[in-house]
Amino acid sequence: MYLIELSGISKSFPGVKALDDVQFNLKAGEVHALLGENGAGKSTLMKIISGIYHRDSGSYRLDGNELEELTPKTAQELGIAIIHQELNMCTDLTVAENMFLGRESHLHGLIKQKEMNRQAKAVLDELKIDIDPTTVVKTLPVSKQQMVEIAKALSTKARILIMDEPTSALTEREIVELFRIIRDLKQQGCAIVYISHRLDELKEITDRVSIFRDGRYVATRNFSETTLDEIIAMMIGREIKEKFPHMSVAKGAKLMGVSNLCSGIVKNVSFELFAGEIIGLSGLMGAGRTELVRAIFGAEPIEDGQISLDGEVISIRHPLDAIRHGIVLGPEDRKKQGLCTELSIRENVGLANLDRVCNRWGVVRSGVEKELTGRAIKDLRIKTPSGEQTAKNLSGGNQQKVVLGKWLVRDAKIVIFDEPTRGIDVASKVEIYNIMNELKTKGIGVLFVSSEMPEVMGMSDRILVMCNGRITGNLISKETTQDEILRCATQFTVQ
Amino acid sequence: MKRKHLKEFLAIRGMGQVISVTVAMLVMVLVFGVINPSFFSGENTTNLLRQVVPILIVGIGQSFVMITGGIDLSIGSVAGMSSMISATLMTAGRMDPWMASLITLVACCAVGLLNGLLVSITKLPAFIATLGTMIIARGIAQLANGNMNTDGIPAEAEAFKNLFYYGDTFGLYNPIWIGIFLFLVFAFVLGKTCTGRHTYAIGSNYEAAKLSGVNVVLAETKVYVFSAFLAGVVGLMLTAQSGMGTMNAGMSYELNAVAASVIGGVSTMGGQGLLFGTVIGSFIWGVLNNGLQFAGAPLALRNLVIGVVVIISVLIDRIARSGKLSLFKKRPPR
Repeated sequence: MYLIELSGISKSFPGVKALDDVQFNLKAGEVHALLGENGAGKSTLMKIISGIYHRDSGSYRLDGNELEELTPKTAQELGIAIIHQELNMCTDLTVAENMFLGRESHLHGLIKQKEMNRQAKAVLDELKIDIDPTTVVKTLPVSKQQMVEIAKALSTKARILIMDEPTSALTEREIVELFRIIRDLKQQGCAIVYISHRLDELKEITDRVSIFRDGRYVATRNFSETTLDEIIAMMIGREIKEKFPHMSVAKGAKLMGVSNLCSGIVKNVSFELFAGEIIGLSGLMGAGRTELVRAIFGAEPIEDGQISLDGEVISIRHPLDAIRHGIVLGPEDRKKQGLCTELSIRENVGLANLDRVCNRWGVVRSGVEKELTGRAIKDLRIKTPSGEQTAKNLSGGNQQKVVLGKWLVRDAKIVIFDEPTRGIDVASKVEIYNIMNELKTKGIGVLFVSSEMPEVMGMSDRILVMCNGRITGNLISKETTQDEILRCATQFTVQ
Repeated sequence: MKRKHLKEFLAIRGMGQVISVTVAMLVMVLVFGVINPSFFSGENTTNLLRQVVPILIVGIGQSFVMITGGIDLSIGSVAGMSSMISATLMTAGRMDPWMASLITLVACCAVGLLNGLLVSITKLPAFIATLGTMIIARGIAQLANGNMNTDGIPAEAEAFKNLFYYGDTFGLYNPIWIGIFLFLVFAFVLGKTCTGRHTYAIGSNYEAAKLSGVNVVLAETKVYVFSAFLAGVVGLMLTAQSGMGTMNAGMSYELNAVAASVIGGVSTMGGQGLLFGTVIGSFIWGVLNNGLQFAGAPLALRNLVIGVVVIISVLIDRIARSGKLSLFKKRPPR
């Protein structure tokens, strides 16, 4: 007997059929991974299970009873909790206030705060999460906020817990902690639906997998009876030969030198980047990788140290300086920092290249803009009906390509990527890797920040490991191991 | 450990700003007192308090709205509408003042309800929705007595005048007691009840509040009703004060209310703010006005100074939060 049984579920949004005749079932006490590329319909299905969306057709049974109308609130009462992909917290409120938001314990509307703090503490203790329930959420690091989300979901006494990419903001160490919690919950008979793009972590916890593609159901397997290759093949409908298409290119001349750079938490960082080289920046969350690349790009003030380009010391005080020198950055959060999501692809590409697009009176020459956009779409194989498509309507992978495209139509010397593949599907990842390789063959220096160890090891020539704002390892990718990187990344114990 | 507690305390919904403006206000009071010692006279103090009360009351309403991330531009017009409706009912309508007041407050709440529904259900931006009702409410104020100010309210309304403006109890003017009472009630609602919690939650992260099962439509609608109700009370005070209904009553109160809230540390982005801050904010407004007047400054100069104070207090808040003044820093995301 299944806890949840879905069959024949369909759901359409204006212009898109998000789910087409899909089935899914869940047993008590299992961890069920839901896999598929972006746009496969996983999140939509989970939102139907948790009452956020209503299905257009199909049957939804919980404990064998057909459910008709379901709202987030009734789903919660039935023991279904969901942790969303993007952190969903009222960051101005405290941990306990967030955990009990919408179901405060109260007497005639009067909140019993002490009681709630005590209950919150009990839940956190049970999960062995060391956070004071009276802390204001925005003062916590992202990873701890993620733990609070989990505690919040569990404080509803959930029997069914849905986690949508819970590890995307966590470090390796915290992922271990999360997996411990998941195993404990499983022991207590809780059913867990787990969505992730990191296939390598599934083996730790998964019992069964269900695979979706383009809004359709493909298959369900016992995890022990399948292989990652088979799963990937089912996800994309064809086999990917190489996960990391690494390419060796003869190292060129020295392109950029950074010496004793200090900015915020970044302390005394020195390294060199050569033409045709890919450097991966590895480290735990908060190690200062993003801050370092932002400082090089002029987005954070440089307090001390020098940057030289082609042997000459340059001054970078603003992103404009960096762009003029041919240094470009694809930022960490593509929706907030990389794109104006309400604007079209053409306008986004134009924005980064206004100096070329505008004539000397400051008037936009739409012909030039269209030509640049056309080039970006063609070079990066952006899947879109036209350059007039609004950026927010593109899939994650294609959005990322627009972010890169707007820079790559300029002839950059150094391209910096910050988490270029976060939250995008396997096939798009490979396309991003291929773009990196193309840059390499053109003699461009590439610097990329990534929290995914296999990606860093697979794609870069050299790996710089950061810890507490310093560089603690300068490793040759071919000769190093995951253990060595992790050792460098945890060199200084965090107090 | 102690430092940690202090840090947490300061992180509570804009506590830092509340403390700094309280200090600023005390300094201001001292300076004005030194310039002109009669600033401290009992007469001036009670007058000052009575001047501050209307701004404080509309400030409370505006703070609720701003904490949800909205703004209520209709406050001043609703106060004017309240003044005109109540006075018209008492004069042309020959109605009992208490009955007239009750009907007036219901009418004001209806405007608030309209504001709330426009924002929460039709999802109009608060700025636009309340801009519309601001013009509508002013129009109603003009229509009420056929585009004329009312005559003086009748002698039977003496008790009404005393309650809302002229009378005193235990040595304080009655409007001051009304202000204190409303502050206590609404501070309790904001700090201790589910309604208050949901007010902060939707301003901090609307989507998260919704997905947590908060009735966001109800929570968002409520604050506009509160705001209109409070503006209505102020309108009654204006009627009592002038003894008649004036069509221009309450003009630009909505922006004074924004000033009081912002000076007191209510975030224009929502999610943050304490009503105690709003009290201090409205006092800074009142002390500056009254103190500069006492020091012999002309009206134009007073306005100039208050404008500068609004800007500085928001700047201080921003610096306090980021730890430095940086011109090119990214704005906090909405």
